[in-house]
Amino acid sequence: MIFSSIPFLFYFLPITVLLYFISPKKLKNAVILLASMVFYAWGEQKLTILFAGSILLGWIFGLLIEKANKTKLRKVFLCFSVLVNLGLLVYFKYTDFFIMNFNKVFGLSIPLLRLTLPIGISFYTFQILSYTIDVYRGDVPAQKNLVNFAAYVSSFPQLIAGPIVRYSDIAKQLENRTHSIDKISRGIKRFLLGLGKKVLIANTIGEICTLFRESNDISILYYWMYAISFTLQIYFDFSGYSDMAIGLGKIFGFDFIENFNYPYISGSITEFWRRWHISLGSWFRDYVYISLGGNRKGKGRQLFNIFIVWMLTGFWHGAAWNFILWGLFYAILLTVEKLGFKKWLSKHRLVGHLYVILAVIFGFVLFNANDLSQVAGDISGMFAFGRLSFVSNESLYYLRSYAVLFILAIIGATPIPKTIVASVSKNKVGNTILTVAEPIALIAILLLVTSYLVDGSFNPFLYFRF
Amino acid sequence: MKIKNIITLILVSLVIVGFSLAQIIMSPEQYSMTERRVLAQRPELSAEQILSGKFMSQFEEYTLDQFPMRDTFRSIKANASRSIFMRKDNNGFYYAKGHLSKLEYPLNDVKIENSISKIDEIYKKYLSKTDCKMYLSIIPDKNYFLAPQSNHIAMDYDLLKNKMCDNLRYLEYIDIFDKLSLDDYYHTDQHWKQENLKELSQYLLTSMGMPADQTFKENLLEKPFYGTYYGQASLNIQSDEMHYLTNDTIDSCAVTSYSTGLPKQGFIYDFNKANGKDPYEMFLSGSEPLLVIENPSSASNRELVIFRDSFASSLTPLIISNYSKITLIDLRYIQSSILDNFVNFSNQDVLFLYSTLVLNNNISM
Repeated sequence: MIFSSIPFLFYFLPITVLLYFISPKKLKNAVILLASMVFYAWGEQKLTILFAGSILLGWIFGLLIEKANKTKLRKVFLCFSVLVNLGLLVYFKYTDFFIMNFNKVFGLSIPLLRLTLPIGISFYTFQILSYTIDVYRGDVPAQKNLVNFAAYVSSFPQLIAGPIVRYSDIAKQLENRTHSIDKISRGIKRFLLGLGKKVLIANTIGEICTLFRESNDISILYYWMYAISFTLQIYFDFSGYSDMAIGLGKIFGFDFIENFNYPYISGSITEFWRRWHISLGSWFRDYVYISLGGNRKGKGRQLFNIFIVWMLTGFWHGAAWNFILWGLFYAILLTVEKLGFKKWLSKHRLVGHLYVILAVIFGFVLFNANDLSQVAGDISGMFAFGRLSFVSNESLYYLRSYAVLFILAIIGATPIPKTIVASVSKNKVGNTILTVAEPIALIAILLLVTSYLVDGSFNPFLYFRF
Repeated sequence: MKIKNIITLILVSLVIVGFSLAQIIMSPEQYSMTERRVLAQRPELSAEQILSGKFMSQFEEYTLDQFPMRDTFRSIKANASRSIFMRKDNNGFYYAKGHLSKLEYPLNDVKIENSISKIDEIYKKYLSKTDCKMYLSIIPDKNYFLAPQSNHIAMDYDLLKNKMCDNLRYLEYIDIFDKLSLDDYYHTDQHWKQENLKELSQYLLTSMGMPADQTFKENLLEKPFYGTYYGQASLNIQSDEMHYLTNDTIDSCAVTSYSTGLPKQGFIYDFNKANGKDPYEMFLSGSEPLLVIENPSSASNRELVIFRDSFASSLTPLIISNYSKITLIDLRYIQSSILDNFVNFSNQDVLFLYSTLVLNNNISM
C-alpha cells in the first residue's frame, strides 16, 4: 500500500488511528504491528512470511548476542545475524546481477532466477542490522518483547521507504511515548505537506521524464528538461515520502530522525550528502566507514574506505552498474573535496552551488538510466551542440506547460517558503493570519491531492524499487 | 495548545472520516455518464482473491471509481491544473478559444501504416478489378485549426496527407482541409457541426462528379449538447447547440442497419440517441458496422460506398440527394473479410473518408 492512495488515506489510516487511540497503552504497539502487517501484505502477499521471519530472527539474534557471556560467541551470533540478513538481501536483490555479469565474463548462459524483490527489503534489512550491531556493541539493550521489536521493524510509516530509523533512536519511545493534540496536529501538517510534495509536484513533474523517453522530437533543451525534472522529481518524491513518514510517526507518538535538509542548496558535495537521505548516509558512516577504520588509519586508507562506502551506497540503490558508477562518481567528488577543493569552494560559494547542482543533475542522469548506453546517450545529448537542434516544438510546449511547476518546485526545494512562514508568524497580525490560513491551506492540499488521486494520475514511488 | 492545531486536527479528521463513511454508505454507481465508461464495482472478498493480490488491485480501482463526488474532484483537478499550475493541458485535454480539445500528438507512423495497409487490403480484395471510382478524403481534427492559435502541439498534418496520398495513389484525393475552419466544430466535442457542412458536402459531390443542388431546412435540437470532451475534460464551459438538416429527400430515405448481421430498420436521425449518453449518436444512430441508406427519390442509379468513421454520420445525409444508395462501412466494428456478404463492389463511387483522429489511432478492428 502506498501513502498517496485512496485506500490508505480514506480506509487504512482512519481505521488504524481509531484502533490505536481506543486501545490501552500496553496494546498500542500490537495495533501498530497488526496494522503494519496488513499494510505490508497489501502489496506483498506471499513474501510477508519472509518479512516476518526476518523480524523473528533479528529479535532472537539480539537476545542471543546479549545473553552470550563470551565475546567470541557474541561475535558468532552477530556474524550469523549479518550473514542471514545480508544473505537474504543479496539473494533477492543481487543474484541476477551477479549471474548476468558472470555469464558475460565467462561466456556462460546460467539462467537468471528472476526473483520478485520483497518490498522494503533494503530498508528493513538495514534496520535489523543496525539493531543487532548496536546490541553487540553494547550501545542498546536487546528488546525482550517480540511485539515491541516487531513494531519497530515493521512500523508502517517508515517500513518501505525509510527513513532508516535506528532502534537506538526510538528504543525508549517504543516503551513509553507521549501523545498530544499538538503533536498529532504537527504530524498531520507534516504528513499533508509531504503528500502534497509527492502528488502535486513529484508525480506531475515526473511526467516529463516519461514524455521525454517516448518522444521522437528530441532536442538539447529536452535533454536538460529531462535531467532537471528527474532531479526535482526524486527530491520531492523521496523527501515527500520522508515527510509523510515523519508526520505519521508523530501521530503515533514517535519522533523519527530527519532525512532531508534542503540538499539542493548545498555548497559542496560533502554538504549535499549531509542533507540528502541523511539516515542512509549516517548508517553507512556508522556501520561501514567507521568499521573499516574511517579516517583513523591514514589518508590512503581513508580514501579507500570512502570508495568502498560509496560503491556500496550506489549498489544499495540497485543491482546495476549505473548505480555503482553513481556511487563511485560521488566517491571521486568527495575525495577531490577532501584533498582541498572543499576549502576552495568555501571561499567561492556561488561556484560551489553551481557545481553541486550540476554534479547532482549529472548524477541523477546516471542514476535513472536503464543501462550504461542510455547514460552515454543522455549525457552526450545534453551537449549535442551542432548535432541536435537546441529546441524542438515538443520541448518548448512542455517547457511552457510545466513552467509554473518548475518554478514552484525550484523555490520549494529551498528554505524560502519556510523562512517566509517563520517571519510572518513572528508578529501578532501575521500569527493571527496563519491561525486561519494554515488549516485552510492544509485542507486545500488534502482536497487537491484527493482530486489528483481520483483522476488517476501518474503515481509511482521511486524509492520502492530500492 | 495552539488553536490552529485544534482546528487542523478537527478539519482534517472531518474530511477524511466524512469521505470514508460516505464511500462506505453510498451505493456504487454502475456507469459514468461524464467519462462514458463502466465503473469498477466492489470486489469479491475471498482468500483466493486476497492471496493472488487481485482483491487489492480491484479494491483500489473501486475506491477511485466510486469515490464520493468523483466528478467534482475531477473538475477540481482540471481547474487547478489549468488555473494554479497553468498547465497547457490536463490529461491531454485543453481549453482554448472557447473550444475543448484533446492533443493529438505525435503522428503515429505505425498506426498510419496500419491504416494504409488496411485500405490497401480492401482495394486489392474488393476494388482493384472493378470499375469503381475511388476517392480519399481526410477530415482534419480541430487541433489543425486550434493548436497553432493556442500554442499547443499537434501532429504534422502535411506529413500525414503526403503519407496517405503517396501510398494510396489509386485513390483520387479530395482535399477538404481548406474548406473547414474552427467554427465548423462543436465547442465541447471532437466532431464537426452538420449545419456547417452544406458547402463542404457540395464540394465533395462535385469532386466526385455528382450534381450538387440541394437545399436544407435547419432544425434545432431542443436540448443543450454536451460533447464527449465536456465530461472527459471536466471543465465547465457553455454547452453547444445541436442542429440537424432535413429536406424531402432526406425524409424519404430508408436506412437499414446490419449491426447484428441481420437487416433491421435504422434512422437518419435517431432521436432516442439524441437523449442518450452521446447526443452526436443521433446521426445515423452512432457506431454502426454497416448501414445502407436507400434514396427512392434519386434521379440516378449511382451508388456510393463510404469507408468511414463517426464524422461521416453527420455528413452522409447531405450527400444522399443524387445517389440511389449509400453504403457506410465502419471497419472498426466489422471484419473486412466478410464485407462481400453485404456489398457487391461494382461500378460504384467508393469514398474512404477518415478523420485524422482515427487514421492516427486505428481505422480497423
